[in-house]
Formats: sequence, C-alpha cells, structure tokens
Amino acid sequence: MNFIALKMLFGDRTKYAGLLFGITFTSFLVTFAASYFGGMMTRSFALIAENPRADVWVMDAAMVAVDRPINLPASALDRVRSVAGVQSAVPLALAQADARFPNGRFQSFQVIGVDDATLTGVPEMKGGATAAVLRAPDAVIVDPGGTSGKLATPLLKADQWPRGRPHLEVPMRPLIVGDELLINDNRVRVAGQSQALPRFPPRPLLFTTYSTAERILLPERRRLTFVLATAAPGVDAHMLADRIEAATDLRARSSDDFESDTVHWMIANSEDVGDAVTMLSIAMLVGFGVTGVMMFMFTTENLKYYAVLNAMGASTRTLLIMICVQSALCALLGTGLGLGLCALAGRVFVSFDFPYRMMWFAPVVGGSAVVLVSIGAAAFSVRPILKMQPASFLAGR
Amino acid sequence: MFITMETPAEPTIKKTAVSCRGVTKTYGQGNAAVQALRGVDLEVRLGELLMLVGPSGCGKTTLLSVLAGLLQRDGGDCSVLDHDYKQTSGKETTRFRGRNIGFVFQAFNLIPTLTAAENVATPLLINGAKRRAALEQAGAVLTKVGFDERMVRSLPADLSGGQQQRVAVARAMVHEPRMFVCDEPTSALDSESGHMVMTLMRQFALGTDRVLVVVTHDARIFEFADRIARMEDGRITRIENPPGRRNEPPQNP
Repeated sequence: MNFIALKMLFGDRTKYAGLLFGITFTSFLVTFAASYFGGMMTRSFALIAENPRADVWVMDAAMVAVDRPINLPASALDRVRSVAGVQSAVPLALAQADARFPNGRFQSFQVIGVDDATLTGVPEMKGGATAAVLRAPDAVIVDPGGTSGKLATPLLKADQWPRGRPHLEVPMRPLIVGDELLINDNRVRVAGQSQALPRFPPRPLLFTTYSTAERILLPERRRLTFVLATAAPGVDAHMLADRIEAATDLRARSSDDFESDTVHWMIANSEDVGDAVTMLSIAMLVGFGVTGVMMFMFTTENLKYYAVLNAMGASTRTLLIMICVQSALCALLGTGLGLGLCALAGRVFVSFDFPYRMMWFAPVVGGSAVVLVSIGAAAFSVRPILKMQPASFLAGR
Repeated sequence: MFITMETPAEPTIKKTAVSCRGVTKTYGQGNAAVQALRGVDLEVRLGELLMLVGPSGCGKTTLLSVLAGLLQRDGGDCSVLDHDYKQTSGKETTRFRGRNIGFVFQAFNLIPTLTAAENVATPLLINGAKRRAALEQAGAVLTKVGFDERMVRSLPADLSGGQQQRVAVARAMVHEPRMFVCDEPTSALDSESGHMVMTLMRQFALGTDRVLVVVTHDARIFEFADRIARMEDGRITRIENPPGRRNEPPQNP
C-alpha cells in the first residue's frame, strides 16, 4: 500500500512541490539558525580555542565565562604553580581599553596581555612574522577580531596626530607595522598583525606582553585574569583542574569545560540567543503552516480515494500508515534538500566572514524540527480520514 | 455415535447470498431525522444479478451500502454471504469487505495517479499480495476485459469513460469476490459502453457462487438483470422479472 501512497503523492506535483518546499524551508532555516548560533558560540570561546597549550584555565571563583573577567591577585600564579601535576603556568590579562588612532579617533580594544617569557596566547601572525615581535619595547599586535574597517589610520602624514580637532573624514589606509597608537596616553607601536579567531561579539584585539599591559592599562590593584596551566605528562586535565580548585580555592576548568561554561553563559544571558530562538520559532511556524496546510489539502482532495480504498478493504490503520509514509518521504527529501542548501549558504556566509559553523547538533536540530513539523502536518491531516464515511462516496458524490 | 450422510445439493434451488428482514436505517436525529430504509425485506440468491431501481431518495444506495457493510443498519436482520455485520467489529467488517465484496462506482473512482493496471491491482495489494504478482494478475484481468498492453499502462485521464468503467469492473473482480455491488455503473456512459460493461459483468463477475447487486436508473440495462427489485420510500415494493432478459450463462473469471 505504501507504493500506492507514494504514487498518489508523486502524481499531485503541485502539492508535492508545496510539501517539499515547506519541509525544505523548515529544515534550511532551522539548520541555518542552529549553525549561525553555533558560529556565534564558537566565536564566544575563541580565546580558549586559540590557546590549545592551556590544559586548565584558572580564574576567580566567581567568574563564569571567558569574557566576564574578574581579576586575581598576582600571587595566584605562584599558588597554581605549586600544585602537584602542573607542568607550567603562565599569566594572561584581559582588559578593555580605548586606543587613540593617529587621526584622533578613539577605538575600543580588548587588550590581551600574554606571558612575557613564553608569549603563550599570541595567535598565528600574518606575513610570516612571529610572536617574538612583542619583545620590542611598547610593541603591540593588532587584530580585527571579526570587525572590518576599524583598524585604519590616515593615509597622509598631514592627517596624523593633528593639533586641535580629529581628522575623521580623510583618506585612510590599514594599520601597518610601525604605526603608533595611544592607550591611556601611553604610546605603543604596531609590531604586527595576527590572524586570531573572530570574536563574538566582534571587537578589535590588541595583544601585548603582560608587563606592557600592566604599564599601559589604567592602574588596578589586580591585573591578572587567568592562569593558564599545562598538565604534566600523564595527568588528566579534569583531574588537574579539581586538584587546583582544592588547593587554591580558585575556579579551575579544563579547556573543554570552560568552553561549555562560556556557551551556557551565552545561552542564558545573550540577547542574540533570543534572536536565534525567534528565528527558529518562525521557521517552524512557517514550515508547519505551509506543510500542514498542503498535507491537509492533499488528504482532503484525495479523501474520495481513501474512502474507496477503505470500502475495498483498506483499514483505517493502513490509510493512516499511507499518510505517514507520504509525510515521512517528504520529511526525508525536504531535510536533505534543506541541509544541502544550508551547506551551500554556509560556504557563502563563511566567505563573508559571518559567524557560521554547522556543528553536529545543527542537522540534528534541523531534522528534529522537520520531524515535529511532519508529525504535526500528518496529525493535522489524518482527522478527515478518521471522520470520513466511505458510504457517502458510493453514489459518485 | 453420529452417522453423517452426504446428500447431493438440489441443483434447481440456489443458495441464498443475501437475506434481509425488516432492515431499517435512519439518518440524523430528532426533527432532522430522515428514515432512509423502513423495513426492507430482500433475498438474493447466488448466481443472480439483482437490480435495485426506484426514484431518487428511495433508499437504493443506502440499502446497497448496508449490504456492502459500509453502513450499519439500525434495525432488522441481514445476512450477507452468511455474515452479519452487526455481529462483527469494524475491523472485521473491513477485512470481510476486502475479501468478499467488489465495488463498481458511478464515478469510476479510479485513483488518477495510478495506471490502469495499478488501479486494478489495488484490491490485491490491500489483501496483502506482492506488488509484482498483483500487477501481473491485474494485467491478465485487464486483457480479459479487452485492454491491450498500452492501455494497461495508461492513466485514467487518458482513457474514455467506457474504458475507465471497464478498469473499474476489472478492479472489482480481480480478487474474485463473491459479491459485487455496483452503484449506477452505466449512468455516466453512452448506451454502447453501458452494454459492454454490463456484458462484461455478467460474463466475468457473475458465477454460480457469486452475486451481483446493481443500483441503477438506467432502463437500457434492465435486460441484464435476473430480477428487478423496485423501491419506494425506503421499502421494496415489487420484485419482477425483466422484460427480454439476456441469457448469457455466468462463468467464473
């Protein structure tokens, strides 16, 4: 009977196309929203992902996410280093600072102060340079951090460091090595550009040494944000984190756990998550609307034939299975089409540097949404079958 | 100790296929109630083609639906092929219909997206036959009713009204049911096609162990009936022999 169900479905091309469109739309939009959300979340823990050498992140006990810094006393570094199983531990400072550009414009940066000795935390550099450029005095590495057009300086010397008003509407060029910026009236020199992972929310990044960061940032009693610990050979990161927590009363999380914490915090607190949920809801509503109505129309228009089949001995259960088979096939094809479209759209989005990442859960979410929509559509359209009277079709009505 | 004796069946007395006594059926309730059947008494014998005739609204289709197990009677007794629908569940009734009753509808009711062969194969598929075997059997039955290879693969929309009704007849008899119910099978056909369809039904659908009940307004086909039951106001008022009856001997398909 499934053969008949599928022939009935394929034969009505308009409704078949409508059903496929509804499911494809749902699958595409839900998977896209989930992938976009995945991209945003991935960018939210970019700092953690960029530091694969750090097995354990140690922070203030009240800190919950990577971008909500609460600084530690400097002594925390030595306390962590003293825990058994820690092979090495380096400091990392995070802060916000407004940098003054040569034309007088201010731009907010996230300042990342890395360990002076090991330079752990500096991402891959552009143009074959190395993190060692930071060893020069007042050196900084700049990075767009997912922004565009924010790292620009006047093209003409005459527009640089002007007296009086800033020169904002002048020809600009990207920052290059040797350009200077002012941070809290401290002059710093651009020593290179990095290729850090884009951030969410996007913001320009400024990498420098821990000691330079201490000097150029506004004075604070505590400057240290994280201690990045590397586990000794044979020591499990989770176990080391537990050991550090027990020994120091600080919060210590393995990289994986800290990434999860950050994502959970973002889900609970970010307004963008609400936007993604709204997008998902709209996708499912529209998908259900289109698919449900099409499936209902399809069933209603074929009710006469279902009644004939029932008269000829097909049980109500058989007819319901036929509708489910029709729904399931549309769901399968629509999911595939939606995922394919989503992958294509993703390639385009990624090329424009949008936060898009199709992680394992995105197709699962998309598929689940399609299953829900298809079940809803099928349930919506079985009612006429349950209510029909085969006898009413006997006399050609 | 019981001694059983085999007595040969009386050749001149045909077995009863349908036996109804005082069958009633009412649609709706209260002031809106319409009594469609008001005590129908009817007997149809195996090997017989009975036509139910009468004015519109007299209860012909309702009676046919009750006989086919599509509607449940309100009162009276009715046995169809030794089966009483009131004594069985809906599921059993549906299964009984699938095995024992073939339908021919006025509007053909062929599924438009299935080929002629696939439409004919449908009752076999409903009864659990494999697709390939069902299609082969359907093709054979269609050949019997005059279809060639090309027409077997045609969609209903590509066939004439007469050809479509032949497909419907083939569909009704492909699974060799013991009772055929036909509601106005020729009213949408011209005289020639109507005669062809009725000839086919007498030839292939009717057998010594089968019964055909046809509801019709079409006086052109009365000659195919063995008996004609006239209905009025929900009752059978007269049963008569048709004038100039055709005498093609019934044969099993």
